[in-house]
Amino acid sequence: MVAINTFSDTLDAQETVWGGIYTEEQAKRGEPLYFKECASCHAPDLMGGEAAPALTGGEFIWKWSGLSMGDLFDRMRVSMPQDDPRRVSRQQKADILAFLLFKNDFPVGETELANRTEMLNRITFLAIKP
Amino acid sequence: MSRKVFRSVPVLVLLVVELGWFTPRVLGQAEARPSTENGEWPHYAADSRGTRYSPLAQIDAANFNDLEVAWRFKTDNLGARPEYKLEGTPLMVGGVLYTTGGTRRAAIALDAKTGELIWMHSMREGLRGGLAPRQLSGRGLSYWTDGRGDDRVLYVTPGYRLVALNAKTGVPISSFGVDGVVDLKVGVVYGRDQPIDLETGEIGIHSTPLIAKDMVIVGSSMREGMTVETHNNTKGLVRAFDVRTGELIWTIHTIPRPGEFGNDTWLNESWADNGNVGVWTEMTVDEELGLVYLPVETPTSDFYGGHRPGDNLFAESIVAVDLATGERRWHFQFVHHPIWNFDNCCAPILADITVDGREIKAVAVPSKQAFLYVFDRETGEPVWPIEERPVPQGDVPGEWYSPTQPIPTKPPPYARNYLDVPDDLIDFTPEMRVQALEHLKRFKWAPTPFNPAIVGNVDGMLGAITHGTATNWPGGGYDPETHIVYVPAGNSPGGSRSITPGPEGHSDIRYLLGTGGAAFRMAYAAGTGQNPDATGRGAREIVTPAGGRRPPGTSVQGLPIVKPPYGILAAIDLDRGEIKFQVPHGDTPDDIRNHPALQGMDIPKTGQRGTSGVGLLVTKTLVIMGDPQVTTTPDHPRGAMLRAYDKATGEQVGAVWMPARQSGSPMTYMLEGKQYIVVAISGGNYTGEYLAFSLPG
Repeated sequence: MVAINTFSDTLDAQETVWGGIYTEEQAKRGEPLYFKECASCHAPDLMGGEAAPALTGGEFIWKWSGLSMGDLFDRMRVSMPQDDPRRVSRQQKADILAFLLFKNDFPVGETELANRTEMLNRITFLAIKP
Repeated sequence: MSRKVFRSVPVLVLLVVELGWFTPRVLGQAEARPSTENGEWPHYAADSRGTRYSPLAQIDAANFNDLEVAWRFKTDNLGARPEYKLEGTPLMVGGVLYTTGGTRRAAIALDAKTGELIWMHSMREGLRGGLAPRQLSGRGLSYWTDGRGDDRVLYVTPGYRLVALNAKTGVPISSFGVDGVVDLKVGVVYGRDQPIDLETGEIGIHSTPLIAKDMVIVGSSMREGMTVETHNNTKGLVRAFDVRTGELIWTIHTIPRPGEFGNDTWLNESWADNGNVGVWTEMTVDEELGLVYLPVETPTSDFYGGHRPGDNLFAESIVAVDLATGERRWHFQFVHHPIWNFDNCCAPILADITVDGREIKAVAVPSKQAFLYVFDRETGEPVWPIEERPVPQGDVPGEWYSPTQPIPTKPPPYARNYLDVPDDLIDFTPEMRVQALEHLKRFKWAPTPFNPAIVGNVDGMLGAITHGTATNWPGGGYDPETHIVYVPAGNSPGGSRSITPGPEGHSDIRYLLGTGGAAFRMAYAAGTGQNPDATGRGAREIVTPAGGRRPPGTSVQGLPIVKPPYGILAAIDLDRGEIKFQVPHGDTPDDIRNHPALQGMDIPKTGQRGTSGVGLLVTKTLVIMGDPQVTTTPDHPRGAMLRAYDKATGEQVGAVWMPARQSGSPMTYMLEGKQYIVVAISGGNYTGEYLAFSLPG
């Protein structure tokens, strides 16, 4: 009897947002998507406005610190863009999230950010590098 | 860590007519009116006097920390997707909790003991709901009874329809309006009395309808007015309907028409091509005096009034009207020619006080500008003088400025309403204060909340320093035993306000919120576009100047330019016109506690800026209010605290953990000998939930 565990490679790693969890190329794909779908409320420089919060800076980082990347991704998946979340695909949202990480100076890595919540659940978002 | 669970909630209306075991009533006898005296909570603000007060005393300082979660109700499936901004305060009458919830604004009834769903009602409004200016589940609903078994729940849908439901079954009352519905868009106009389109016309409301005797009174609200396309917007109004039949009884035009009092305060016939001036927040009523108190809001275009010269009555005024006829009895305008978005934000509080030995039936109005305006509510006479004082005049082309504004002499402002330079500036270190003063060289500040906006530019003067927002829609509360008003308040002036011509073709208003040389950003009302039938018309690509840059803000190394406390709970003694206490509310935010430049410093609790966005509850011994922000501290894991304060001293006497920030104001009730506190929480990763606490056992 052979137990096949297709996720065995990644089960052991305890990952955080500081571990190089997205690629520069993915962030570059995300940039024009951000400007098209997000910037009208969250501002071109991510600093937000009257109705939409900043996606950079201390208040944003600490608001999500301690939660998982899956939490952040799922919030985007379910409710953003506010007027029609289904307009932007799951893959596009992962790319936009990679762009957000890039703009917040989290380190780039070799692997793209997954577009599946259950995978992203295993990565902890932390304000301070452990 | 608790994960949100998408429970499948039955959508079918459960017809349970015989609810004898819920209510103590004997069939055939007239019932006592629902009241906080019975341990109920029959109105958004506890009563129609705006007090948020209940005399319950079971939960007190000695046991507050022992509170447990009694039940929780998620609103996820009451619309097409979950909501992250649940702002309702439920009602409790006869053992049943009534409230709104979900992205479709469903009206629901829950078993107040367990949170179990009894019935649900919502309307599929299609495009009309999708385009509504005020979406999501709003602030709640209202309850009326004839005392003989005709019990009704009334609420306003996102598409601006007034619905009357049988409170026992959730079924629309067929004899009310048309099959239980009054179309509130009928009769709404813009311009010179041109009807708005029933589908696409812009009007709605978040707050609850006011029940007064056998009438139901509804206000009006439009979109946020910072970047709108035209100043010739829908005209606000207030209307009273017969609660039994839905028949219209009276209409108040808050923008006076020709021949009506105040029409001449709109120069150059500007009454005709300007709008808004709604009443978007909660109204209150003195049923004995027969007077309704209307807190009126801002005209179209919050920050530029060049298209509406004149004082603009009755914008940003309190107006007292006769309950039976709608006739104006008295009014007071808090801001002449409004250009600061000081729209009346909350319920005018009815307070019977004793000042210098004289008993006065008073009304006290909290505000964004941290003034508490107090009047004899019968005559409109200010209890303490309110003086017209000169204010700075601005220089925006085409603008009209009022030379004076009314300033109460008592009580003093209950929070900071302007940035006092240099004393209010950040002072964690001397270096930070120096940086703050350096930043300020590019901003225009003045020692008054009435600091006019400037036409800012990224290469020049960036903006006018603003007051911040003291109290907002949650409003305050009042203890009728001690005559103390309690108000939550943001205490953080120091933002920047600039207006600038909008993008070509976007608007007929000369100046909109924005800074010259910076990218234009549309400002939307919270919740816009989230109705299940939303069309995607909300977001649009606006052409921005090439290379549009962000103007620098006022923050210093990422910290607020103003020193703490950032948000407070204030108590005002109305018999004396004095501040009784002000205490910081909310844990020091994480980004401040963990700021690299502040490590090793012992900084007292700073409170949280978002305190303008939370509301409170007053009981026999406590003032209860939750945090507007989530934090992770040595004392508690990631979450927000629901706090109890000794109402006499402001000392915090207890705090219980909640998994998300408070997003709706708390209420309390007694059921089968047990006191409950219910509060709406939501935000960040946490979808809307009504959370109920009670003591163990």
